[in-house]
Amino acid sequence: MITRLEGADKVTGRARYAADVRLPGLLHAHIVRSPYPHARIRHIDASRAERLPGVHAVLSSANSPSIPWHDASSLFDRTVRYIGDEVAAVAADSDELAADAARLIDVQYEALAFDLVGEAREPKAEARGDVARGLREADVVLEATYRTQTALHNALEPHGCTALWHGDQLTVYESTQGIFAVRDEVAEKLGLAAQNVRIITEHMGGGFGAKQIAWKHTVIAALLAQRTGRPVQLALDRASENLAAGNRNATEQRLRLGAKRDGTLSAIDARIRVEAGAYSVGGEDSDVIGTYLTLYRCANVRAEQRSLRTNAGPAVAFRAPGYAEGNFALESAIDELAARLGIDALELRLRNYATRDQREDKPYTAPESLRRCITRVAAACEWRHQRPGLGFAAHDWAAGGGWPPAEAEVEFAHGAARVIVGVQDVGTGSRTALAQLAAAELGIGVERVQVELGDTQPGLYGPTSAGSATLATLGPVVQEAARLAKKSGHARAQRGENPKGKSIRTCGAQAVELAVDRDTGEVTVKRVIAAHDCGRIVNPLLQSSQVIGGITQALGYALSEKRIVDARLGDVLNANLEEYKLPTVADIPEIVNASESMPDAEANATGVKGCGEPPIIPTAAAIANAIYSATGVRIRELPITREKLIR
Amino acid sequence: MRAFEYTTPSTIQQAVSALGADSRALAGGTDLLTLMKAHIAAPERLVNVKMLLPRGIEARPEGLEIGALTTLAEIEQHPVIAAGYSALAQAAALAASPQIRNLATIGGNLLQRPRCWYYRNARIDCWLKGGADCPAREGENRNHAILGGGPCYAVHPSDLAAALLAFDAALWVHGRGGERAIELADFFALPAPERRTETVLSPDELVLKLRLPPHPEETRSGYLKAMDRKAWAFALAGVACVLRLSGRKIAHARIVLSGVAPIPWRARAAERELQGAMASPDRFAAAAAAAVQEAVPLRHNGYKLPLTKALVRQALTALTDPACK
Repeated sequence: MITRLEGADKVTGRARYAADVRLPGLLHAHIVRSPYPHARIRHIDASRAERLPGVHAVLSSANSPSIPWHDASSLFDRTVRYIGDEVAAVAADSDELAADAARLIDVQYEALAFDLVGEAREPKAEARGDVARGLREADVVLEATYRTQTALHNALEPHGCTALWHGDQLTVYESTQGIFAVRDEVAEKLGLAAQNVRIITEHMGGGFGAKQIAWKHTVIAALLAQRTGRPVQLALDRASENLAAGNRNATEQRLRLGAKRDGTLSAIDARIRVEAGAYSVGGEDSDVIGTYLTLYRCANVRAEQRSLRTNAGPAVAFRAPGYAEGNFALESAIDELAARLGIDALELRLRNYATRDQREDKPYTAPESLRRCITRVAAACEWRHQRPGLGFAAHDWAAGGGWPPAEAEVEFAHGAARVIVGVQDVGTGSRTALAQLAAAELGIGVERVQVELGDTQPGLYGPTSAGSATLATLGPVVQEAARLAKKSGHARAQRGENPKGKSIRTCGAQAVELAVDRDTGEVTVKRVIAAHDCGRIVNPLLQSSQVIGGITQALGYALSEKRIVDARLGDVLNANLEEYKLPTVADIPEIVNASESMPDAEANATGVKGCGEPPIIPTAAAIANAIYSATGVRIRELPITREKLIR
Repeated sequence: MRAFEYTTPSTIQQAVSALGADSRALAGGTDLLTLMKAHIAAPERLVNVKMLLPRGIEARPEGLEIGALTTLAEIEQHPVIAAGYSALAQAAALAASPQIRNLATIGGNLLQRPRCWYYRNARIDCWLKGGADCPAREGENRNHAILGGGPCYAVHPSDLAAALLAFDAALWVHGRGGERAIELADFFALPAPERRTETVLSPDELVLKLRLPPHPEETRSGYLKAMDRKAWAFALAGVACVLRLSGRKIAHARIVLSGVAPIPWRARAAERELQGAMASPDRFAAAAAAAVQEAVPLRHNGYKLPLTKALVRQALTALTDPACK
C-alpha cells in the first residue's frame, strides 16, 4: 500500500499552508464586511483606525482603485449587496490588531430594501423529444417538488493567502484549486502581465469548489502589500468563510416523471429554481439540469433552471455542483415511481440507465460501468426490495475524464526522477498518484520520484482542480513524459485530445442502511455501501479517502447542514461551526467501499478517471429512500432533520 | 477585542472585591472568552479564579460536594458519580466535546449564557443584550423555548444543570457579605427586565461549590438528550430523571427538562403524575403529557412537544425496566 508522499509532513506539522508562511516584516490583514444585506455606503472615515499604533494601511473605496469585479460591481463597491460583502481592509502588525482596527473604521450606510427570494432570471433550458406526449402516453405520472438547502463548504482550511512584492513581481502563497486561474485573474485585476505574478500552493486543507476561482481577498492582500511595502497575510476567519466565500445553491425542483407499466421512462420534466446569491462569481453556475438529461434513457425530456439573485452570500461550485442537488430529487423521484409501478427500485434503474450520452448524442467509453456499480452495491448490501431501512440511489457525473491543455516535464537520471507539473494537490493526493504513474512507467520505486507542483513559476500549465479531472488530465501527460524521459533523460509532454465520437463520464451507486426512531425523529445511519466507476484505481487508499470523505460530506448535506438566514434581518444565523451542523465522527457509520478498478482504456492511456466528486452525489437520495423504506414517510426536502420525522 | 485588566487575587475575599458590574471571574473560559471574542461581553477586568476556588468531588455524610472548578470531564469520570448519580455522569458525557469538557468547570457551566443565535450575533440587537425585543419570537426559533418563554425565548444551554436540579442540589456562593447557601432551584430565574440573566447571582459573587444531598441506594437516574447530530451539540430537548421505586410504586420522582426553557425546567406536573403511582406505560404517558402541558410552541419549534414527551417516556421506561439498576 502506497501512502501519501506528504503524509508525514502533514501529521508532523511540517507541511506549509498559505497562512503558515512566515516572512520578515509580515503584516496581517482583516476585511471590514457589510453588516447590511443591501445598502449604499455614504461615507467612510478610517482616521481612528489609521491612528492606531501598529496599523500600516487601510484600503476602501475612498482611497483605492475601482477595480471591476463581479457583474457590474467593483472591488470595494459603494453598494453592498449582502451581509459579508467587502467594504474595507486593514493591514496591521498582528491579526488581532487588524481586527480591532477594522472595528474602528466608521462606515455610514444608507440601508436599502433587500430581497431574499429573488426574481427568476432567463432560464437555462435543454429539451429533446416531446414531453407533453411522453406524459400523455405514460401509464403512471409522478409529480412532486423537492427542495435542497444552501450548504456551506467549510473546508478545514479557510480561504487565505500571503502576498509579497519584489519590484513589480508579485508572489502569492494562496490556498487555491487553480494556481493559473488565480494568476491570470490577479494579473488582470492589477493590470500586470501574467508572468509578473507567481502563485504558490504547496498544500491545501480542502477547497471543494469554493477555491476554484480567484476571490477578492487575494487582490486586497496584494494591494495592501504594495501600499505598505511589506508582505501581507490575509486569512479568512470561519465567520467570513461562511458568509462570503461561496455556498452550494439552494434549489426547488418541480418534477414530472412519466413511465410505462413495464417501467420504461416516457417523460422527464424538470423545472428548477436555483438561489444564486448576490453575485455571479464565476463557477457558480451549477448544472442542476445535467443529470435529468443524462442518467436515464428517455426520449422526451425538458429540463430548465432559473437562477434567482438575492441579497445573500454568493453561490459557487461545491463538490459535484448541480449533480448533488439534482440527484437528490431525481433519485428520490425514481424511487417514488418504482413504488407506484410496483417494480423493484433497483430493477427500475437497471431497466432505464443510459449507455450513451444523450446530451452529446455519443456513446459512453464505458457504457456498462453503471450496471457494474449497481450490481456490486446490490451484492454488498444483499439488496432486497422493501427491506426496512435500506435505500438505494444511482448517479452519473458529467466529468471525471480530464481534458487538454496540460503539460508535464520529467527528468530521469541515476534511477531517480523529478516530475514537474502545474497543478496543485488540493488534498486528494494528486502528488502521490502522479508519482506512482511516473514510477511505473520508469520502472523505479515511487520513493525515487520527486513531484514538484503547486507553482506557476516553471510555466508548465496545469488546469484548475475541478470536475474530478486532475488525475485523468495530468496522468496521461506524466506517463507520456516519463516514457520519453526514460530514453532521453529529460522530456516534456502535452495533454492529448480525448477520443472523438465518445463521451467520458463517471457514475456509481450507493446503498444506505439506517434506523428511524419515530418518537424522537432521530435517524441513525448504520452503513453506507458505495461503488463508483473511476476507471483504473491507481491508489486504493486515496480512492477510499475520496469515497469516505464524499459520503461524510453528503451525510451532513442529507441530515444536518443548512445555512439559516433570518428573513427580516437578512443575516446568516449560523456562520460558525457550532450551529452549522457538520457531521462528527459519531455520526459517520461504517462505509463500505465496493468500488472496483475498471480501467477505461478508451478514455486515455492510463485508463484513469476521477473520483473526487462522485461519492457525494447519491448519498442524500439513498438516505431519503432508506427513510421511506423504514417509515413510509417520503421526505422531499433537505436536510432531513428530526422535526420532519417526529410523530 | 476590548483591552482588559487581568488580575490574579490570592484570596477569595480579594477576588470578590475585584468583582463587580464590569468585572468577570475567569475559570475554564470556554464560554466567557468566546463571548468576548464575539463582542457580546466586554468586561474591563478579568479576575482569575483558576487557582482559588475548590476543585474536586468529595463524598461526605451530608452529601456529595463538588467544587466549582471541577471540570465536566472529572464529573463524567468520577466513580461515585457514575455509580450513584448516573444522570449527572450522563449529562456530563453528553455535553460539548471532550476538549471542552477537559477545560470547562461546573461553576462556569451553570453560569454560561444562552447559545441563541440572535444573542450570539453581535450584529443583532436582542432583548437579552438590552434591546427592546426578542428577534427569535417571530424569527428562526426551531431551537428556542416552548416553556417559560418571553420576553426572552433562548433556552438554557446546560445539560448538567438539569441533572443537578433533579438531585435537589444546593450551591454555596461567596459575596462581599461572606458565604451563603442557595438552592439550585432558586438560583435559576427567568430573565426579567431588571435582571437580564438566567441566575440570581450578583456580579460580585462567586460560586464556590455544589452539594447534592445523600439519597437512598435504590435511587435510579438518567439523562436523555436529543441533538441535531450524535455528539457536540446543545440540547434540542433533554430530560433528567431521578426515581425511587418501592416495588413497582414510585416513591420519589424528579423530572427536569433541558433545552426547552430559558432556565432548567422542573416539570412538577409530571412529577405529580408519578408520585405514589404504580410504574406503567400509561402513567409514563400521562407524566410525559403533563411535562409539556403548559408549553406554548413558536412557529418552528412545535416538534419539541412530541420530542420532550418521547424523551420523558423513554427515560421513565428505561429507569423502571426491572433489568435496570
